[in-house]
Amino acid sequence: MALRTLFKSGVVLDIYFFKNNRSAFLFTLIWPYLTLTLIIGMGYLFGSAESFKQNVGVSVDPLMYFIASTLATMVSLDVMWGIGGSVLEHRWIGTLPYILLSPNRTSITLVLTYIPRYLLNAGIQLAEFAPLIFVVEGFYGGLFRLSIVILAITLGMLPLLGFSALFTSFLLSIKEESNVLGWLNPLILLFSGAFYPAYLLPRWARIISKALPSTYTIELARLSAIIGSPELRKITLLIGALVAMSVIYNSASGLLIQAGERKAMRKGAI
Amino acid sequence: MDVKYDVLELRNRGYSMSEEDSIIARNLRKIYSTYLRKGLIKRERQEVHALKGVSFSVKRGEVFGLLGPNGAGKTTTVKILSTLLLPDGGEARILGFDVVKDASKVRKLIGVSLTVEKGFFWKLTGRENLTYFGMLYGLDGQELRASVQQCLELVGLTSLGVADKLYEEYSLGMKARLSIARALITDPEVLILDEPTLGLDPPSARTLRELLVELAHKKGKTVLVTTHNMFEAEILCDRVAIINEGKIVALDEVEKLKRRLAGKVSLEIIAAPPAKVPVTSLIETVRSLIGAPSKAFPENGLVRLKVVQPLERVEETTSRVLDILHRKGCKIRRVEVKEPNLEDVFIHLTGRKGF
Repeated sequence: MALRTLFKSGVVLDIYFFKNNRSAFLFTLIWPYLTLTLIIGMGYLFGSAESFKQNVGVSVDPLMYFIASTLATMVSLDVMWGIGGSVLEHRWIGTLPYILLSPNRTSITLVLTYIPRYLLNAGIQLAEFAPLIFVVEGFYGGLFRLSIVILAITLGMLPLLGFSALFTSFLLSIKEESNVLGWLNPLILLFSGAFYPAYLLPRWARIISKALPSTYTIELARLSAIIGSPELRKITLLIGALVAMSVIYNSASGLLIQAGERKAMRKGAI
Repeated sequence: MDVKYDVLELRNRGYSMSEEDSIIARNLRKIYSTYLRKGLIKRERQEVHALKGVSFSVKRGEVFGLLGPNGAGKTTTVKILSTLLLPDGGEARILGFDVVKDASKVRKLIGVSLTVEKGFFWKLTGRENLTYFGMLYGLDGQELRASVQQCLELVGLTSLGVADKLYEEYSLGMKARLSIARALITDPEVLILDEPTLGLDPPSARTLRELLVELAHKKGKTVLVTTHNMFEAEILCDRVAIINEGKIVALDEVEKLKRRLAGKVSLEIIAAPPAKVPVTSLIETVRSLIGAPSKAFPENGLVRLKVVQPLERVEETTSRVLDILHRKGCKIRRVEVKEPNLEDVFIHLTGRKGF
């Protein structure tokens, strides 16, 4: 069966869903700005833009820094819990058995039908922030930074898909109906350097940080904000790390999601 | 889809299979583990033997019914045949393909409906839901559009004018029709339907039954349905297997099953108990008195009792039951003796209290 059709089914589902749910679409549009406003608002509670520049150590516009952080953090979170979340949603509404009845491998079905939603969410967020980035950085500067962010969230998606599939295999196998790993969200964000740069974390936390793909996604996105000129070596290193993690996480998840599915099928959890 | 498989090879492996067989289940076994909580932390593992060696085969173009009470193993069997559950023993084949080893091939050959009241996206219309699932199962372009339209027409959702209405606005009957439409979307050889008419009003159930018979007898589809509705099985199925506590206790054509009760009759008594008498204890008292396979259950505030036994004992049983019902203050609404039907066969074979 053509994987293109499987991918297309995810696109079609999103189009139908948003067409019939205008309010859901509206909130999808509002959500990134709400998050950005919250982050910037909290930032100003703790100090001015000048003190932020001093703390970070480089001359950078805090707005640009937070836009990049918000984008990377939100899309990382989206993809990390997206596939697992979709499994839970399917279980609640009773569509899970019919999704699994697709002749493709379960991991392929779940990932390919989810990717359109991820791309849509990421696309909406990028499109929403793009004008702001152009206003702050000018056309060429904005274009450059936007390109790095797009690269970061596209490349960052790949290992995170594997990461999400690991979570999904766990959800499938434990007959669970709720996001039992939701409590990990703030910890993952913390270790990924979403709140504080990862190099400020204690040594043991930095080890965990290095194992999380979201760390590299966030770092790559931030780099586009912090650097004054392209630090090609650092960007290359981060891209390399993301590619390596894609291979590791996706290979592991391919096997584990099958194991999770078989366990669920043995237990009668589907 | 034209499927070729080696009947001889399967026969050599112990299958009593003919080229006409679409579905074969052989000695299927399934054990579920459950945990009984004992205190705050401690829990005890318990095993539930859902299937204890279920074997049957279904011919091409046949409507085959799997009958049984709740918890008998119907849904477990259906899930195994649908590749959604792994058996702990035994084998099952759909058109020659093993449901475990060749699961992805099997999925291309079957259409499945597990529940009629859910399993779709509430914020999508019937047509949009079918389009999505059609794509998920490999259809695209003109083929997909044609198939969606054809299935919607076949189950009558277009004639009802609701094909483009949101699923959340559907009645249960419409949801059931859409569920059958999804099972048909890839034009599969085999349909596996778990309680397809559960909760439907009589006209909707009748329409659905007629559709299933037409699909089997006119279009050559193999239809496996589970039900606990004996009336439905009697008018819908070419053959039925009665499953009880994980075992097939009888398998034959309905008429042949009924002939097993030659010389026996079915006695039905309906009584209205007084408000102060608990219905369940009344049922227990009466059933222990009868000492024959019987079925008794509350029905709209009444007690309905069915007993299958030889003709010569009916008079004695009737007077004994009526006597105790009178003593308990019940009002007798109806006493009827008639030829046994499939429900009576079930009672005779299983002696179950209710469904």
